[in-house]
Amino acid sequence: MNKLLISISTGLALATSLLQPAVAQPKTEITLARFFGACEADYGKSTDVKAARGECGVITTLINQFNATNKDGIVVKPQIVEWGPYYDQLTARMVARDVPTIAVMHQTSLSDYVSRKLVEPLDDGFKSVGINTSEFTDHAKSGTAIAGKTYGLPFDTFSWLWHINGNLLKQAGLTKADGTLMIPSSPQEVLEHARKFKQATGKPYFAWSVSGTVPTNSWTFLSMMLQQNTELFSSGAKPKLNLRTQDATKVMDLMSQLYAEGHVMPGLDSGGVNQAWFKGEAAVALTGTWRIDDFLAQSEKAESPAHNGYTVIPFPKLFTKRVVYADGHSWVMLKGGAKDEKTRKAALTFMKFLWDNNYEWARTGHLPANRTVIESAAFKALPMRSNIAVISTIGRNLPHTVPRQHAVQLTLSEELITMQLSKKPVVQVQEAVETRVNKLLDSVR
Amino acid sequence: MQRIVGKQWGDRLILGAVIALAIIWVAPLVWVFALSFKPNEFLTVRTDVMFSPPFTLKNYLDILGTSAVFRWTINSVIVAVLQTFAMLVLASLAGYGFARTEFPGKNILFFVVLAGLTVPEQAIIVPLHTIFADLELHNTFSALILPRLATPFGVYLMTQYFKAIPRDIEEAAMLDNASRLKIFFRVILPLSLPAQATLGIFTFLHAWNDYLWPLISASKPEMYTLTLGLASTQTNFGQSEGIGYLMSQAVFAGLPVFILYLFFQKYIVAGVSGKPVK
Repeated sequence: MNKLLISISTGLALATSLLQPAVAQPKTEITLARFFGACEADYGKSTDVKAARGECGVITTLINQFNATNKDGIVVKPQIVEWGPYYDQLTARMVARDVPTIAVMHQTSLSDYVSRKLVEPLDDGFKSVGINTSEFTDHAKSGTAIAGKTYGLPFDTFSWLWHINGNLLKQAGLTKADGTLMIPSSPQEVLEHARKFKQATGKPYFAWSVSGTVPTNSWTFLSMMLQQNTELFSSGAKPKLNLRTQDATKVMDLMSQLYAEGHVMPGLDSGGVNQAWFKGEAAVALTGTWRIDDFLAQSEKAESPAHNGYTVIPFPKLFTKRVVYADGHSWVMLKGGAKDEKTRKAALTFMKFLWDNNYEWARTGHLPANRTVIESAAFKALPMRSNIAVISTIGRNLPHTVPRQHAVQLTLSEELITMQLSKKPVVQVQEAVETRVNKLLDSVR
Repeated sequence: MQRIVGKQWGDRLILGAVIALAIIWVAPLVWVFALSFKPNEFLTVRTDVMFSPPFTLKNYLDILGTSAVFRWTINSVIVAVLQTFAMLVLASLAGYGFARTEFPGKNILFFVVLAGLTVPEQAIIVPLHTIFADLELHNTFSALILPRLATPFGVYLMTQYFKAIPRDIEEAAMLDNASRLKIFFRVILPLSLPAQATLGIFTFLHAWNDYLWPLISASKPEMYTLTLGLASTQTNFGQSEGIGYLMSQAVFAGLPVFILYLFFQKYIVAGVSGKPVK
């Protein structure tokens, strides 16, 4: 009996050892700090990237797919933070020496971290995993390259668009002889079109946000400023903002006049902008690339005032140059994030995966950072993308020499909102912005 | 007779005014609750419809479908309960010390405590964060709880309450040879229940709703409190494209506090009004 038991036990042990993998592969864990929200209920376990929608859906499924399919034993652990205070937490984490392996970062913020030597240059790393920086679009390259080194993997370009309800413009007679929509090509034309539109429909031409939480007014302003031959900031180690120029006055006068004459729907925040456009209360909504799919979905409804009449264009050329303000997301490796070479390599491998899937991210509405993707038939077949693909070439950030760009834009946006809401004179606004921004820039060490 | 009728009309007017005020105050809460049952896509077009279709439970299912939400709730309960308990103990002891005992430098020390009331949290958050970083305590319950115990408000409240208790009661106990500590625990503390309840409720509420400190102290998702965790699930433009979800988060996070209020409202009212609980 004992011999039988021993035989059975030995047999079971042998069978168990044969069934188990020879040696369990140790996993390499990398942490990824990001915003874009969490959507575990919809996409928590999904690896079907093609079926995913929206920023949250696409990034969640991309990470899930990588974790499920990579053969290097790499596990990506996302650490999700709300968008608004993301950089507060990221900076606090660096102080606490709890640095994530990879972090998402706006290109407007990149120079602040690079100047403090907190971000690793990635040129060599990209070469080692086969990411070719010559495939970056013009905007992507300018957004992530500082002093000849690449500090981030560009993920997209996003910009400020005119979402147009063509039905309303037609109703107002703002169409050419061939039926195409009339788009203004100068500040004077903007006013003329807006006045004609208001006369014909009784509605304001524009819907744009005058709420200060996101610096969207500064994007309108910067798009128009960048179109002129003017330098907003002085060069040198301590740049200064110079807003008391004729060019800035022209732009501010235009924004102020549009609002004062009732060509901008009053008192809207970003949600209000969407609602106004969806209800047909304004012809042109100034909002970003990320809204394309939602606007399209609404305009496809038979009862929508924009039914079969939706189109979207980059901010039109109203001055000298065909340029628009644009920013982008990128993925960076912060110093101290990768604890060893193995983790570093794992992070780069994941970055390569993201780069190879840049088309999927472009379905969110953001423009791809990969030149091959933007020139591909698949991308061009996405709705409205052929209208805005040019932004990857004409999109401009502020120079990397300007620090604290997000704070600068918030300040500028606040004062522009005050100018519109309380009819503050343009001269006073210029002075206030210069004083506040230059004080901020002076405080940067 | 005329006076009685006049008084009745006066009471009715006051009642009417109070009801109107209550409606004004409650209306936004009702609106939030109603919007939490609306699809996000619907709310991108309009937010002025409360009680007519469409309705959905998806916003709440999305919250419950986030596996970490229960962990975050437990974290919030642990932080809020421990913080409240510790605050009550410390503030009561400190308050009794200031109210009833004499020691060198008492007045200066009390002044220093009061001066703390004028210092906003944001002014000290950076050095506070650095201290806890050096102690390697971030991402722990200690870091979430300990900094909040040094708040002068609790000491001030308890000091003032203890001062208002007649000394005769203590003197009577002293005549029976009760020690100071025995007097504190057996006589004074039970009399201070309304103040304890008030301080406890406010501390719990503050701890439950706290966002800024947990944001920079708890960077690992498993250490998030509920407020921080729910906020992290919002998409970048949640205020425009995820309004229903946002509202459901507000309801979900506020529910425990609302339930707490239902149980303790008489103590809160007594504490605020200064009248004893019947």
